[in-house]
Amino acid sequence: MSTITTTVEKPQSRAPARPLRWGRIFSYITLGLIALIYLGPLLMLVNTSLKSMPDFMKSATALPSSLNLDNFVEAWEKANFLRYLTNTLIYTVAATVLYCITAVFVAFPISRGYVKGAGLLLTLYVIALFLPVALIPQFQMMLALGLYNNPFGYVMLFLVNPIGIVILVNYIKTLPIELDEAAAMDGCGYFRFVTSIALPLMQPAIATVAVLHAIGIWNELILPTIYLTNKDYYPITRGMIVFQGVYGSDWPTLAAAVLIMTLPMIVLFLALQRYIVSGLTAGAVKG
Amino acid sequence: MNNYHFGRGRTRWTPYLLLLPGFFFYLLIMLGPALATSVYSFTDASGIRGAAVHWIGMENYREFLFMGQASRDNYAALGRTLVFSFFVTSIQFTLGLGLALLVNQKLRGVNIFRTIFFMPVILGAVIQGLIWSLFLYPLGGPLASLLDLFGMRSEFLGGQPNEAMAWVIFIQIWANLGTTMMIFIAGLQTIPSDLYEGAKIDGANAWQTFRNVTWPLLTPSVNTNLLLNIIGSLQAWQLFLVLIGYRNGTQVLGYLIFAQGFGQTSGSVTSAFRQGYAAAASIILFLLVLAIGIPVQYYLQQRERRILG
Repeated sequence: MSTITTTVEKPQSRAPARPLRWGRIFSYITLGLIALIYLGPLLMLVNTSLKSMPDFMKSATALPSSLNLDNFVEAWEKANFLRYLTNTLIYTVAATVLYCITAVFVAFPISRGYVKGAGLLLTLYVIALFLPVALIPQFQMMLALGLYNNPFGYVMLFLVNPIGIVILVNYIKTLPIELDEAAAMDGCGYFRFVTSIALPLMQPAIATVAVLHAIGIWNELILPTIYLTNKDYYPITRGMIVFQGVYGSDWPTLAAAVLIMTLPMIVLFLALQRYIVSGLTAGAVKG
Repeated sequence: MNNYHFGRGRTRWTPYLLLLPGFFFYLLIMLGPALATSVYSFTDASGIRGAAVHWIGMENYREFLFMGQASRDNYAALGRTLVFSFFVTSIQFTLGLGLALLVNQKLRGVNIFRTIFFMPVILGAVIQGLIWSLFLYPLGGPLASLLDLFGMRSEFLGGQPNEAMAWVIFIQIWANLGTTMMIFIAGLQTIPSDLYEGAKIDGANAWQTFRNVTWPLLTPSVNTNLLLNIIGSLQAWQLFLVLIGYRNGTQVLGYLIFAQGFGQTSGSVTSAFRQGYAAAASIILFLLVLAIGIPVQYYLQQRERRILG
């Protein structure tokens, strides 16, 4: 709004604009400095990944003497990345789809009060944030069920996400209850109502929850460390840590590997930013 | 439940049936195991399949709290967890609020800054950790070179435990600041703009406006951020794993649980699969979270009632 007036009426706006301009300069300088702390490590990563090892030994920070893409080829081949990325992709997609389907049917009746004890159920999901670490009994159970070192068992571990339920419950409250009444009046059954009427309306919330859940699975490091011992089952996170253990001192190759793992995440982030941000903050605000 | 419109009799059970799978997995994977942790904490369970499990009463707790050097190490880990949580929470909260105020201005390009600050959140502990390990490369890395200009040297993550801890705190904040900032931004955007116009007409300066308009109306986001940051940082340990491993003088409770329960041979400390003991440590961490979380939650709610009515 103010841009129109400032460009047209130059003389009058000068006096009040002055303190504002200093504030603006201060803001940009502060933001720029902090942005440097955020981008610096990434630039260093890119720079290192393009260097040869002797280049890196000579000076870790200098620009590469010649553009060298061998590191990427080497990292890709040695790190078994295709396998690990495929595994991660399968785990993430399978668990996210299954979780979202089950979550809708948990959240909907809780939000509408269509099941007895809906309030208690919601409380059970809300308190999950405070629960003690469940790793030990969970591990014992997985052992007993024969799901240790088993990709199906691993996916099963991700069919839970209490924050997602809370987000969905809150979102469903914004859908008018008259919808349910009208549909029921027309003889629509519960299952069909949820799947063909409520589900499309819940799309933004489901997208948010799906993205939030998928990021969690994609980045998970602890559970694959505990449950997957077979190299063929490793997701990319675990594979990366193992790769670091072997090539820990070969930073150019390691940096190329990290970059291969980072780039798809950043592209995805830029594309889905809206859902990611709402996923990581919406649940928090309401929960 | 009179408001259910989709039929009676047998069809009344449909929502229950459809709810069951999701709730079953929640019980099986999260709620059940979380509750069973307390049971396991009274046993000598190991992680070995088929090994007998005995009830040993309070033995794990006695060992954790009152047994010579080991318990002194545990207290040190507990203290470190508190220190870590305190610094992460207070700095991340303050910086997050400051950044939110900065990027919530009508300035060109603020969206780019938002994106930049939020980006690490999605990268996960492995990438976050490795990126910083490289940046803190002690032999001529960027920061080492910078220190070199002033004639200083540092081993960063490989150096003194306290210094390594400080770096993990820094990187933890770097990684999660975006979430705190975004929650504050969401809160800032709910404040009606006519309140700011009113303050301007009344001649309030920037600080007075913040103190009397922004801060009180930001209460819900303040509460959320404080609680999330406190609980999150008390339980956080993944960056320790990626950045420094299980090293003496840097262990926090979360990592200690993992190391005791699932074995950890890196560094100078070797531990076995002592799952009963690890379960006891989990309960102690849980009690710590409650002991801090509940009073804070109570205080914040009282405060919110006082301010927002």
